[in-house]
Amino acid sequence: MEPTWEPKILAFLCNWCSYAGADLAGTSRIQYSPNIRVIRVPCSGRINPLFILKALQNGIDGVLVSGCHPGDCHYLTGNYIGRRKSATLKRFLEYLGLEEGRVQFSWVSAAEGGKFSQVVDEVTRDIRKLGPPKHFAKQKRGQGFQDSRVVGFKGPS
Amino acid sequence: MVEKKLREKAKELLSKKEVDLIIGFGEGTQPLRATPVFIRNPEEADRLVWNSFCENNLATYLHKFSRFKVGIVVKGCDARSVTALALEKRFKPEQVVLIGVPCQRMIDRKKVKKAVKGEIHKVREEGEKIIVAGEDGDVVLKREDFLYPLCKACTHRNPVQETLRVGDPVGEAPLTEPNPEAKAFEKKPPEERWAFFEKETGRCIRCYACREACPMCYCTECFVDSSNPRWIEKSLSSADLEFYHIVRAYHQTGRCTNCGACERACPMDIRLTYLTQKLNQEVEELFQFETGVDPNALPPLSTFKTDDPQEFVK
Amino acid sequence: MTLDPLKLNKKDFQPFLEELAKDHELFAPVRLVEGVSVYRKIDPADEIDLDASNPQKPVKEVFFPQSEAMLRFEKVGNRHKVTSTDEVKKPRVVLGARACDIQAISLLDDVFLGKEYTDVYFLKKRQSTLLVGFACNHPLSTCFCASTGGGPFAREGSDLFFIDLGESYLVEALTEKGRALTQSKLFVKASEKEIALASDLEKKAAERSDASLPVEGIEKKLDQLMESRFWDRLHEKCIGCGVCTFLCPTCHCFDIVDEAVNEQGQRVRNWDTCLSSLYSLETSGHNPRPTGRERTRQRVMHKFNYFPKNFKKIACVGCGRCIVYCPVNFDIRQVIQDIKNY
Repeated sequence: MEPTWEPKILAFLCNWCSYAGADLAGTSRIQYSPNIRVIRVPCSGRINPLFILKALQNGIDGVLVSGCHPGDCHYLTGNYIGRRKSATLKRFLEYLGLEEGRVQFSWVSAAEGGKFSQVVDEVTRDIRKLGPPKHFAKQKRGQGFQDSRVVGFKGPS
Repeated sequence: MVEKKLREKAKELLSKKEVDLIIGFGEGTQPLRATPVFIRNPEEADRLVWNSFCENNLATYLHKFSRFKVGIVVKGCDARSVTALALEKRFKPEQVVLIGVPCQRMIDRKKVKKAVKGEIHKVREEGEKIIVAGEDGDVVLKREDFLYPLCKACTHRNPVQETLRVGDPVGEAPLTEPNPEAKAFEKKPPEERWAFFEKETGRCIRCYACREACPMCYCTECFVDSSNPRWIEKSLSSADLEFYHIVRAYHQTGRCTNCGACERACPMDIRLTYLTQKLNQEVEELFQFETGVDPNALPPLSTFKTDDPQEFVK
Repeated sequence: MTLDPLKLNKKDFQPFLEELAKDHELFAPVRLVEGVSVYRKIDPADEIDLDASNPQKPVKEVFFPQSEAMLRFEKVGNRHKVTSTDEVKKPRVVLGARACDIQAISLLDDVFLGKEYTDVYFLKKRQSTLLVGFACNHPLSTCFCASTGGGPFAREGSDLFFIDLGESYLVEALTEKGRALTQSKLFVKASEKEIALASDLEKKAAERSDASLPVEGIEKKLDQLMESRFWDRLHEKCIGCGVCTFLCPTCHCFDIVDEAVNEQGQRVRNWDTCLSSLYSLETSGHNPRPTGRERTRQRVMHKFNYFPKNFKKIACVGCGRCIVYCPVNFDIRQVIQDIKNY
């Protein structure tokens, strides 16, 4: 881990609440950690667990999924389903040895610019403490393509 | 004897044309094996066997016969798989006649092979003993020591759903705690858990025996075949092998019945059920759900409660 | 050209490997966990698994790896640099190969080293590899190499042939290249007693390998069965995985894909199985082998009809792996019998 390593965190933000909340943080000129990269999704329930896994495989240091508060989902029930998926995926990944805190979840409403910036700061702090991911990343970020580790191999060719 | 009754029942169902075919187990071509059979005439009913090597989950075949009325021999776990498939509307309930057989717990054939030196010629069960006639003479094994771990932990040995039953009901007291391998795995420190997972999946040859043996894996295009988005490659790289197994297990959330068919099918002896056991434990704990027990309970990831646990959410 | 047989004591086996390792890369069966072995590149001090019955993955993997990068490409300045990966840097020796697997390599030669097209990746490996065959003293009940033109002690294709006598190996040099490996003092001339013991083991092994399968005339019989109802029920229990294909020493179908990120990547060849529904799925959506019936038929026809038509040999060496590891106990011996009886 180089001394100047900064975590790169993928943030899936639901369009109607969290993304708007993030936007509010911006227009309010609130300063917060610049480590997130945002992907706007219609709803936190849209998150396919494979997105999170693929991001980890591509070498992301952390993932944040943020949606509307329960009861406030623009699509009425999307975040409830998302909550169940998030709960089961998080527990499963940590069961396999993924460090606790590398994948995190939050409810941030459109009015919560302050909360958004706090969440991002907290998540960034947590992941900075964890360091770069040791497992699962297939390619080191920013270093272009690296040959797949063909499994096991001392093997034939 | 269960086998005799099974054959009689099969003859009856086929003669009366109550089913077009029956999926059951027949004698394997090697010791320690039974093999799926598909019989259509009453005369073929004598091919049916029942023993502790009837380890496959026959529900995986239902999709091949969706145009027929099918009788299927099911153990407790298999019956729950059929219920789960019915819930996912894979067939019309009237199409399937469940021939429920209370399960005596299946024998782990790979474990028996490892316990006996030299090749095994013949295996006989006598009550609580397994008598193995091998190259080096006879070996007597205690049956209880050679059962599949999930069979030992099973609490649904009597099929929860069945159209008719063959055999007497058995006691439901499990021999171990539920999801035993997941419980043991959880106790290890995280580094050790990942190392185990990496080592096990490292042997994978992407033959998909686990996927094909599983009754709940029926997608015509599996995520591994998706080229856009291309989630994983087809080549043997550790990260992709890990991705494959994580996702295949995760896709069983709320659908797996702990039948163990995946692990039994694997030619490289990869431990797999500790993955799905954890997910089964989770849906039990979080959503009070167990696959295939209540035919009306919606799959947990298709529904919600407004007060679902959310202590992990900021 | 079998010259006078030699003997190598088992305690000299590792020193032998150390000698070989000076100029060669060594491949041998390695136990991954109990009951599971594969061929891997080894160091002389590594533990190798010569006692177990055939490793799961066959010797073909040394010549035709399951995943093989064929070429690598990357952008260098304004241009693309493409590097082929066919070069084999050091000659190789494969140890612990059974006669069935070695027989299978000659079948793969027909496929990859054809008259019109030569697979450079296979060719270069084949040219630089010596095969050290190990006799099977204990064929399994699922072995039927004797029915498919081979046998537990079949020496064809080996450069060196080892017979396990207990405390030592009887070693036969079958080619000049093989003989060149036995020049050290570790090898002594085998005694009459040892030769007799080897001969006895050979006789006993021959009795154990199943020679009874009615493979004779199967190609002609299958000619008549292409459209037959014979296939209607055969496929039912096959679940369409790839266990038989990937563990089969003669199966050779593959898929080629490009794996790339941004402007760098590699072109990879991976094993594929004709039993997968996607194998023959065309872009239009049409699938000439739409159900298990057609795919199971294809597997049997390829091995026992199409391949013999092209190369005058059946594409099965009787190793029995497909029987042992099939999750549903699909048994090719039964199929052969059923074809004969139909």
